[in-house]
Parts: sequence; C-alpha cells; structure tokens
Amino acid sequence: MSEKPGRERKPKALGIILTFVAVAIGVAVVAILFHAQTYTSPVGTQVAKSVGTVTVNGQTLQHVTLAFNTYPDASGSVDGQAIHPGGNPSWPSYGPTNQFQVPAHALVTVTMRQYDSGGSLNNPWFATVRGTVGSVARINGRLVHAVNPNNVGHTFTVRGAPGTDPGFFVNVPLPAVPGNNQSDNGQYETVIFSFVSGSQGVYGWNCEYPCGTSVAGFGGPMSAFGYMSGFLHVV
Amino acid sequence: MTTAAAPALLEDTQLSSRAGGLYRHQNIVTGLIGGIGLGAIGWALSHQFLQGSNWGTDMVVTVTMAGWVIGLLLGIGAFNAPVLWMLGHDQTHEDELYLAGVGQGPRRYWKFCTDHKVVGVQYLIAVFTIFGVGGTLAMMIRTQLVSAHSSFLGANAYNAIVSVHGMAMIVATIIMVTGPFGNFIVPIMVGAKDMAFPRLNALSFWLLFAAVPPLLATFVLGGVDAGWTTYAPLSVQAPPAMDAFAITILTFAVSVTLSGINIIVTVLTMRAEGMTLNRLPIFTWGAVIGSALGLYAMPAFMVGMVMMITDRVTGTSFFVAAVGGSGWLWENIFWIMGHPEVYVILIPPVAAMLEVVSTFARKPIFAYKVTVGAFIAIIALSIMVWAHHMFTTGWAPDLNGPFMLTTELISIPTGIIFLCVIGTLWRGSIWTRLPMYWAYLFLWNFIIGGVTGIYLSDVPADNYFHGDMFVTAHFHYTLLGGAMIAAVAAFCYWFPKVSGRMLNERIGKVAFWMVAIGIQITYFGMFWEGFEGMPRRVAYYDPIFLHANQMATVGAYLLMAGFVVLLYAIIHSWVHGRPAPANPWHAKSLEWMVPTPVPLENFLVEPVVTADPYGYGEPEPAAPAAEPEREPVPVGSAETTAGEPV
Amino acid sequence: MSSDLAVKTREPDPLPPEKAPFFSRPSGKIFLIWLAMTVVGVLIGFYAPHHLLPTMLSVEGRAVWATVVLLTVLAAPVAAFVYGVGFYSLVAWRQRGYGQSDEPPPDGPPLRGNSGLTILWLVVSGVLVVVMLVWGLAELASENATHPNSLQVDVTGQQWLWTFSYPGAGNLETRSLVLPDNRTIVFHVTSEDVTHGFWPVELGVQVDANPNVVTTIQATTNKLGAFTVRCSQLCGLYHSFMYASGAVVTPQAFAVWLHAHGASALTASDVARVSSSS
Repeated sequence: MSEKPGRERKPKALGIILTFVAVAIGVAVVAILFHAQTYTSPVGTQVAKSVGTVTVNGQTLQHVTLAFNTYPDASGSVDGQAIHPGGNPSWPSYGPTNQFQVPAHALVTVTMRQYDSGGSLNNPWFATVRGTVGSVARINGRLVHAVNPNNVGHTFTVRGAPGTDPGFFVNVPLPAVPGNNQSDNGQYETVIFSFVSGSQGVYGWNCEYPCGTSVAGFGGPMSAFGYMSGFLHVV
Repeated sequence: MTTAAAPALLEDTQLSSRAGGLYRHQNIVTGLIGGIGLGAIGWALSHQFLQGSNWGTDMVVTVTMAGWVIGLLLGIGAFNAPVLWMLGHDQTHEDELYLAGVGQGPRRYWKFCTDHKVVGVQYLIAVFTIFGVGGTLAMMIRTQLVSAHSSFLGANAYNAIVSVHGMAMIVATIIMVTGPFGNFIVPIMVGAKDMAFPRLNALSFWLLFAAVPPLLATFVLGGVDAGWTTYAPLSVQAPPAMDAFAITILTFAVSVTLSGINIIVTVLTMRAEGMTLNRLPIFTWGAVIGSALGLYAMPAFMVGMVMMITDRVTGTSFFVAAVGGSGWLWENIFWIMGHPEVYVILIPPVAAMLEVVSTFARKPIFAYKVTVGAFIAIIALSIMVWAHHMFTTGWAPDLNGPFMLTTELISIPTGIIFLCVIGTLWRGSIWTRLPMYWAYLFLWNFIIGGVTGIYLSDVPADNYFHGDMFVTAHFHYTLLGGAMIAAVAAFCYWFPKVSGRMLNERIGKVAFWMVAIGIQITYFGMFWEGFEGMPRRVAYYDPIFLHANQMATVGAYLLMAGFVVLLYAIIHSWVHGRPAPANPWHAKSLEWMVPTPVPLENFLVEPVVTADPYGYGEPEPAAPAAEPEREPVPVGSAETTAGEPV
Repeated sequence: MSSDLAVKTREPDPLPPEKAPFFSRPSGKIFLIWLAMTVVGVLIGFYAPHHLLPTMLSVEGRAVWATVVLLTVLAAPVAAFVYGVGFYSLVAWRQRGYGQSDEPPPDGPPLRGNSGLTILWLVVSGVLVVVMLVWGLAELASENATHPNSLQVDVTGQQWLWTFSYPGAGNLETRSLVLPDNRTIVFHVTSEDVTHGFWPVELGVQVDANPNVVTTIQATTNKLGAFTVRCSQLCGLYHSFMYASGAVVTPQAFAVWLHAHGASALTASDVARVSSSS
C-alpha cells in the first residue's frame, strides 16, 4: 500500500494520545478541585481556647471552650464572617465553621446558639442528652436531660472514626426557636454543655434532625459535608 | 497499483464536491456545539418554566442532560438521513460512500462514519479513554485508603469517586471487546462487507460518546453518593448529580442495545457462502451470545432509571417506603440487569481469548460445540440468579435456597470453558507470543475469581461476606483479572490487523509482568481486608485493616504502572511499529485473509468458506487452495450485490 | 503463496514405552503437579481462614469459618487440575525458538474433543455442586431454625448511627449491643431513612435495614468477647462512621448491664419505676 496511511497515522495517534491524557487528567483535576477537598470554612478549624484546669470526678483535666451556632440558612454571617461561603445560601448550616480541634482527655465546654426552627426527630432517641458531664445540658439557663422530641431544631452528635475510641459518644439536642420562623430573625436558644474528649484521632459529628430535603429529610444539606456535618479533631 | 483498464479500489472513488450533503460540514466539533447548545437551551427553558417546588434542580438537570444527548446527535448528523426520508428524499450512492468515509482520510474518525472499521477504532479510543478515567479514579480511591483516616479526599468526594469509578468501569468493560472488535472484526470474520445496519452502528458509537460527559458532570452537580448500584432510597435522596447519572445510563443502554442488535443480525443474515453455524469462529458466537444477553438485561436498567427519575423529579413512589414504595423493587430491577450484565462483560472477551488460545497453541478449539453450548447455558442460567446479590436484604429469605442452587449451577458451564482452554492447550505447540501470555494470566486469575464467587454463593458464608471487601476482590478478579485480561489478549491479537503495525512485544512483556503481579498483590490485599471484616465503600476504616489496605494500595500502584507501560507500548507501536503483514499469526479465520489495512467493504473477492477456522494439523481441503490474485472487482458490478449492507 | 497454507505438523510426540513409569508420562507428571498444588491449597484452606477471619463469637460465625475451609478444600483439587494441565502444557510443549519468530511453530495434533473427558468433567463438576448445595442448604436450615428462649433485640439503622433496644427491658435504647452468652438472639432490624446493612461482624451474620419494614436475622452466641457492628450497605456521607461496639458477656453480667446501663438512658420516671421494682 502507499505510504499515505502511515504518514497520516502519526498526527492522528498524537492527537488521540493528547486527548486521552487530557481527559484522564481533566477528570482527576475536576474531582480534586471541586469536591475532593473536605469543606473547610475560611475560618478554618476552630481550635478550642484553654481556660485553665478543672476537676471532674476526682480527675484534674485541662478545660477548653468552643463556640459555634446553627442557622436556618447560610446566607448570613457570624461576627463578620459568612456562614458558608460559596455554599447554597438557602440551606441551614452550622457556622462559622464545621471543624473543631480539642486536646485529648480534656473537659470541653461548648456554647451554642441555635437560631433555627425545627420539628420532629426521625428517632426520638436523639432528644436525650448523652455523653456530656452528668448527661445534662444547660438550655437557656436550665439544666435539662432531654428536650421535646417534636420541637428539635438540630442536634450535635459526635462519635469517633472507626477504631477511634469507640466508647466516646456525645449527643446534644438543640431545641427549636418557637414558631415556624425559618428566617434569621435574631431569636436563638442558648445551649451549653461539657464533655470529656476522647483519645487522639478524628471524630465525625453530624446533625440528626432531618432539616434537609428528600427521603427522611436527610438529603440536601444533611448529606453535604460542611452544613450539618463536620469533624472534631482530638490532638 | 492500477493500470489504465483496471478500476480503482472502492475507497479511491472520486466523489463530487456535493457528496454527503450536510454531512460534509458535520463532525465532532459541530456535535459538541449542538450538544452544549441544546443542553443550554434546555437548561434555560426548564429553569424558567419548571423551577417549581417539587421540580427544582432535578428537573433542570434532567432536561439539560437530555438536551445534551439529543443536541450532540443532531450536531453530528445522526438524524440527517431519517429527516430526509421523512421529507421524501433519499441519500444517493455518493452520499452513502461519503458516509462510509471515502475521500476523507483520517478526518473520517471524527465524524459520523458508517464504515464498521472506523466505528471499531472509534470504540477502541473510547474504551481507552474511559478506562483511563476509571483507572485514575481507582488510584484516587486507593490513595485515600493507604491510611485509615486519610484527609486526601473528603467523604462526599470519596463516595462520588467510588460511584463514577464503578460506572465508568462497567461502561468500559461492557464495550471493551464488542465495541472495537465486535465492530471491526466480526463482519470480516463472517465474510460480510459491513454490518447489517451501518448507520445504527455509527449511532451506537456516538450515543456512547454522548453518555460519558453527564457521568463526569456528576462531580460538579453534588456527586452521586450511592455507588454505581445507586440503591434506592439513598439514590432518591441524592443530589441532582443522580439525574445526570440516570441520563448516562439511559443513553448508554440504547447504545448497547443498538450495537447488540447489529451484531446479532449481521451474524445471522450476512455470513458468506459456506459459513455455516458450525464453521463460525467461536468469537463470533461469543459476541452474539453476549449481545443477546445484553438485549435482555439493558431494558431492565432503563426501566429502573426512568422510575428513579420520576421518583426524584415528579414525586412518584416506586422506591420510597414512606409513601408506599420499596427499595427492594429497585434492588430486584437492578440485579435482574446487574447479574446478566457481568456475563455480557465476560463472554465476548473470553470467546475472543479462545481464538487466541487456538491460534497460539496451533490446535483446534477443544470441544467447540460443547463450549458454544456452555456459553448459551451460562446466559440462560444467568437470568435466574440475580437475587444472590440480595441474600442479606431480607427481601425473600425463602428464595435464598433456590437462588443458591441456580448460582452454584452456573459453575458447571463455566467449568466447561476451562475445559475448552486446557483441552486446547493440551499437547499443542505453544507459541509464546504476547497474546498468549495474557491468556495464561486469564487462566490463573479466573480460577481465583470463580472459586471466590462460590464462597459468596453459599448463603451462610455470604451472610458474613456480603458488603465487605471480599466481594470487591472477587469481582475485580473476575472482571479485571478475567474479562479485561482476556480483552487485552484479544487486543494484542488483533492489533496488527487494526493498526497495521506489530505491537512491541519486549515492552509488552514488561507491562505483562507488572500487571500480572500487580493484580495478585492488589486483590489478595483486598481478600485479606474482606476476611478481616472491612466493609465496602468506606473512606475511613478501622486501623486493624491497615496492613491489608497498604498491601492493596502498593499493588494498585504497580498495576497502574503496568497499564501505563502497556499504553506506551501500544501508542509507540501504533506510531512507530513495524508494519504488519496481513496474517502475522498464520491464523485461519477470514479476518486474516484480507489485506492490512483492510479495504473498504473488506473483501476484494467474495469469500467462499469450506471449513472452520480451526484446521490446524489437518490437511487442507480441496480448492480453493491458493489465494486468489488481487484483481479488484469493479464497484457496483453484479458480483458485489450479494451481502450488501442494508 | 501455497507454502503459507501447507500444513506443517510437528513430529509426533514420542510414545512412552509400554512399561514406562507412570511419572515419566505427561499424565503422571501432571498428577504430581496436581497433588502438590492440592496439598498447598488444602493447607491454605486450613491455615488462612483461621488466621484471617476474626474470632467468631457465635455458632453461625463458626459455620462461616467451616464453610470457607470446606469450599477451599473442595476447590483446591479443581484449581490444581486446571493450573496443572495449563502450566504443564506451557512447560512441556512450549516451542522454543519461536518466541520472537514471525514463523509459527508446526501445528499441533488436530484434537477437536474427547466426549468421554467432557462427560466426566460435567459429572464431576455436577457432583461437586451437589455437595456444596447440600452443605449450604443444611447450614441454611439450621440457621433459620427457631429456638426457644431466644432474646429479641430491635436494631434501628439511621443515617449515620446504630441504636439497639431490648423490648423486654422497657424503653431501653442504647448505642452498645451487649448480648448474653449461649443464647439465640433474634434481631429485628429496621431503618429510619435509607437502606443500611446491619452487620455484627464477629457474629457472622447480617441483614439489611430497610425503611418501613422489619427484617430479621438470628445468631446464637457461644463465646465471650467484644465485637463490632459495621454498616455493610453504602448509606451516604458518613457510611464509614456508622459502627457500634458490642460484647458477648455472661448472662449475669448481661442482666446487670440491662438494669444499670439502661437506667441512665431512661427518663426520670422510668428510673423511679425500675428502682422501686428491683
């Protein structure tokens, strides 16, 4: 046969190589850039502030504090910081960040403001405070052991990554603001609780109140890391 | 070489400057413009008119992706001829020749081309690309899993990557042999000029092309977090990416269905004179049988996806229990497709590999009829085993026993395939060229994959192993270690015919050993993970599984490196390789009797078949004994009307 | 050109003398390879599962181990035969000097089939299937048999946590799955949202948790120890985090746990009720 096919093959093959490589790399880049990074708010990881030591059950522990809130939507801001920049502004969200860092085996006191309305939990088991000191939380100044499972705004529920301190578990229900008000009108419930952090490692927390869309209310923000889920890093 | 009196070859026909009509201006670029354009129009219209509370972005994504598919097909020219017919016109013979790629040189590979050899090469490049995408994603998965709580990928990203890796690999493995070689080789193997439906052939390729971008788009639409099996109701809960995923499936299923019909009709109706079913090469049987099973399975997938879309977009209640549906309905519909589908993946490459074994053992296929019967038995049984994927779902515990029976029965015809392989090897003259290496690797891998499948078919054992990495290791051994390696053997075998070059075997053998060892390390690591109790599809795992995961990741990197070396061997040989003779392996099937490169319409003289292609060691039958002189027959003469494509 | 089509068969393989020792014939050599590989396979069957599977705490878990051993032992001779013949062919009949050659070696003998061998193959594989089936069905029947005095535990899967409740112990719902030894536990499993996979690993059983239906699986504990419940069905964002700890304890310890641990999870009035009755 004539030489034409051989010569013509070369540019075709090079084009194909480049296309192939480009597509493969392109997909990897898309995957990494758009979604691979664990959502981290511009605030970054909130490192718990040390406020001294405290004695719990005869043990002296370091005492640290964290503060964060839950909002009916991510369009607002906290202390000048957008709650969930780049995210879906109509989705409820924790803010200002969803990642926290605490020392191991320390007493962690968390102060939360819950700005959202709510409703019924899928499983009323999450309406009970668990894993905190005394299994209680201070809600609007009163110590309570559980809230009404039909009036929950969100929950803060934490457990370790597989193999990390399986005994550790904290669940704090956050009551809903009264009425059916979804927008941020400034009303909030104050919830303060303390727990003893576990061993070093990564812990995942998520909300168990179905404030999302679709099946069982766990779609949308409930399934997208960063709105109603995050990490607790114990170092 | 022509004299003044001898007519030119068909592909050297001079066409007028109007031949092809609108097709002259249509190629992949116009296709992309059409796809993006119609997708954008769909997006704008659905955004404007359909953003109601129940419809939201799911409807928008669905309409946009459907617009992309239809727009691409419009832009590439797939609908030109049907529209002409509706207007009462037809295409001229010159138009048909233009469509077959005459006078366009390499540009025809970027267009809607009806020449089955062009479609075969287009499929080949698509297969490489999709494997590249799926393989890149696999490496990201294994990199995440090298440590127990890695922060390389986030939890959303990991699930999305696992889902797309799975679906991309399923797409690639379904078409990896029927696409390139079902199209390029099968018509020549049966003595036909082209396939039965050349236009549908081109359409099936461009449908495949259209199906891939929505799959990749899932990454930017929230990610599919439900695996490639997209169990409901998790997939009903999933972000709008799931709608793009559904469009991918619908489009791909149509592509596979058209391709399957084409192969079956071609083999049934367009065989050359003397090519009885008894003389059919076994690869052709495999392509037909695999495609027939695909025809059974794909509609179930499509139906399931349509129901999924309506559940998500219009609020039907097929799969959501709270409103009267059932996730089990999804699982049944899915696995009614899902199990036969793995045999759609497996049978064509295995049949192609049997050609390799016969050629490189210089012996006939052992127990040819029994092997064909085994393929048929496999597909018949495979439609009755689907609920072995559902042993632990609690759906129908009383059916676990019967499904265990049918599943274990499949090992009998599968065993016949092994008998065929070792019977062909027995006392053969083993010619240790590169394709044979892959055939031996298949033998090693598929025994391991098949045996571990038997563990899973035992219901009490499956009660432990279901949903853990043992299952993942099992199906990677059978699909990658078995089917894909058989496909690589087939590729190395037919590479000289398709590319006109000999594959560099030195580099190929380096790649072979890397891949062979990489497979064992990777998937034995995964069996180890599975024995220890590590679940599937987890981004974070208990550190007790650390060593097994490290072993699997190391193996995966070696495997990837081996495939990259193989890719280099292929590209290097395609560009610089030694020109290949027409029949480098001295094989006996019809594709080796035509010149390389293969002329348009394949045969310069109509073949008449007098024996099957496995006459190794047997004396040649009587005339025709000599290869006829290469006297091209004039185009359009009476002798070439027989067997013309429809 | 006609030479291309001329048939070159190789020299017929030398027939072994009538009284040649079995092990110098191909079938003898393959027998040796087969025997060696079968022994290796059987050893793997006895060694590997024992060391790779976790320590099982139930009858069903032990049955998993036994099944894996049995199937490995049954598969070993089959695999050894295929490997033996395949790789012996490579060693004995590989045509040296043709590895880089464009000329093929001479053709092999035109052996198109052997109906006796095919029938024998079908019969042997059929028998093996029957053996596996009988074993599996027997095991399945014993695992489905109802037991008196079983303990019911309700399992709830929800995104992304397991909770367990003991219907016999009031409103007790807990994150830890504590079970008594030597008892048949019947798990009633359901889900609040999507499909999860309830998999108490070291009990060797699992069943999916589906919304709006209750599925059941049972396990008979026979060993003390700790175990982990994992989720075996992808359920979304935190599927990896969905695990729970469990333990098989003595019946006395179980009773103590039920009252003590359970009490702290009960409401105040339940605590008052339990304290007054104990």
